[in-house]
Amino acid sequence: MINSDLQALITTLEMAALTTIILLIIGTPLAWYLAKMTSRFKVIIEAVVALPLVLPPTVLGFYLLIAFSPEYLPGQLWQQATGQQLAFSFSAIVIGSVLYSLPFVVQPLQKAFEQLGDSLLEAGALLGAGPIDRFFSIVLPLTKASFITAASLGFAHTVGEFGVILMIGGNIPGETRVLSIALFDHVEAFDYARAHLLAISLLIGSMVLLAAIYWLNLPNRNVSESSNQIRISK
Amino acid sequence: MKISDTRLNKVSDDECSQLNIDISINYQQFELAINLPIPLKGITGIFGHSASGKSTLLRAIAGLEKNLLGEIILGDTNLVNTEQGNYLKPEVRQIGLVFQNSRLFEHLSVLGNLEYAVKRCKTKKLVLSEVIELTELTTLLEHRVHQLSGGQQQRVALARAILAEPKLLLLDEPLSALDQHSKTQLLKMMLKIQKKLNLPMLYVSHSLDELQQVCDTLLVLSQGKVVNFGSIHQVIHQLNNFGENTLIHQQTSLSLPIKQFNNGHGLTVLALNAQQDIYLTSDKTFENQTQLRCFILASDISISLTEPSNSSIVNHLFGSIKQISYTENKVLLIINCASQEFFVTISAFSQQKLSLTSRQQVYLQFKASAVRTFIH
Repeated sequence: MINSDLQALITTLEMAALTTIILLIIGTPLAWYLAKMTSRFKVIIEAVVALPLVLPPTVLGFYLLIAFSPEYLPGQLWQQATGQQLAFSFSAIVIGSVLYSLPFVVQPLQKAFEQLGDSLLEAGALLGAGPIDRFFSIVLPLTKASFITAASLGFAHTVGEFGVILMIGGNIPGETRVLSIALFDHVEAFDYARAHLLAISLLIGSMVLLAAIYWLNLPNRNVSESSNQIRISK
Repeated sequence: MKISDTRLNKVSDDECSQLNIDISINYQQFELAINLPIPLKGITGIFGHSASGKSTLLRAIAGLEKNLLGEIILGDTNLVNTEQGNYLKPEVRQIGLVFQNSRLFEHLSVLGNLEYAVKRCKTKKLVLSEVIELTELTTLLEHRVHQLSGGQQQRVALARAILAEPKLLLLDEPLSALDQHSKTQLLKMMLKIQKKLNLPMLYVSHSLDELQQVCDTLLVLSQGKVVNFGSIHQVIHQLNNFGENTLIHQQTSLSLPIKQFNNGHGLTVLALNAQQDIYLTSDKTFENQTQLRCFILASDISISLTEPSNSSIVNHLFGSIKQISYTENKVLLIINCASQEFFVTISAFSQQKLSLTSRQQVYLQFKASAVRTFIH
């Protein structure tokens, strides 16, 4: 693989890995909150979380571009805090990816938490386990399959992202130039050979990743039942 | 697993603490209001039909029912006081609860479930291996919990609850999903554990037969209110007269000393008093016991004006009628035999034929098989 493409691969993997970690950290409490919530505002939050499933990525990217620019508050705050511009940076594409892949992490987790119910948590509490203890000793092991699914869907979806990154990241090698953008560049330049190379490696890579997840989840499926199924409606 | 020579220590040292309950819970369809001190000694039964509030009461004591007003005090610990805004979380209440569905952790083995409790227990007075032995789980330790039968699962749940070393153990219909054999096995186990660890228990059930066998005191709930509370035989006898009495089958509830375990004909003899005995069918579990709890349904006893002599019915008791009460086509008689009251129902037709009156001397007759025990 040619150097610049290798660079794009590294950027892609870094972005996807960081995005997945952030998504698990913020997606888990959000999914928990949604699973336990009974208020009627629940549907509104659920709709917001699910928006990236139906919205054209360019719409999300457009609004993020505006928000990230130094003229608007989020972009200003970022610039004050870090001294750097947010738009067209690696940080920007990570934030964009987090928002864009949010439903892919939150939905399977929310479903798993809902199915788990309260009965085992009550049993744990009566044995002296506090809330954090209960999460790590009961919830996590019993919804492991859903966490694996959530993480890998989040990761894979971020790798495959194009529209949002094009809008807010531009095409800066080593910073925001990811595989999907590089592929687009090659096609634009009629360099079909390199485009093929990238396309086929993305295809095989995604295939291998998904197969690995399903294989990994095989023995866990009974534990959290069908919680690892998500309906991807795009 | 801890291996140690020390014998099982008793979990609670103080002989008898008290649970003070003064709470009300309001839902749209259901209201519960209980104000009662419960002395925590032995096993206290909580009886009532579904929706009587008995499970809700247990959940309130355990800290799982947040929608309540009032105060609950266990010993000298204030578990909840909504006026002062105190609310102890369930994980710090030191109260155990065995649920109807055992709620075992499926990702852990049997041993893993037990160790879950041990790891989080602060007092650590009990020895794991001894509790395993007591609950007969030795051969099941490595099993996954979904491989276990219902009875085995409840034994694991019981052992797990004990290993958390609670000050009070709550049992919410622990036997209702089990077959008869598992029920009696678990009941016996509960009695053994209660005695050995001196662990007070509140035992919720809709089956009076179960409660009659293991409880010393009985609390009766109906529609969220306390109907009766006191020593078990007394409460059951009072329930016989309770209003329209839809709560229980009218019966005589007894604890009697065993006079002779097997009289050679497969019958066990209980001493009612110096003159009169009660015969019932022997069971090998009666052996080694000195006292037996049993009950006789009021509909299983018949009345005779003369001493029956040519009858296959083995139990004949002599007594005098204390009270006669009429309901529709049935007549409830309370008959004093020595110092024991017996409850008998006869048809209005028989009453008309015999024209029984108060203080009249009569003979009670009932078969040996009419004397029932739940554990056998």
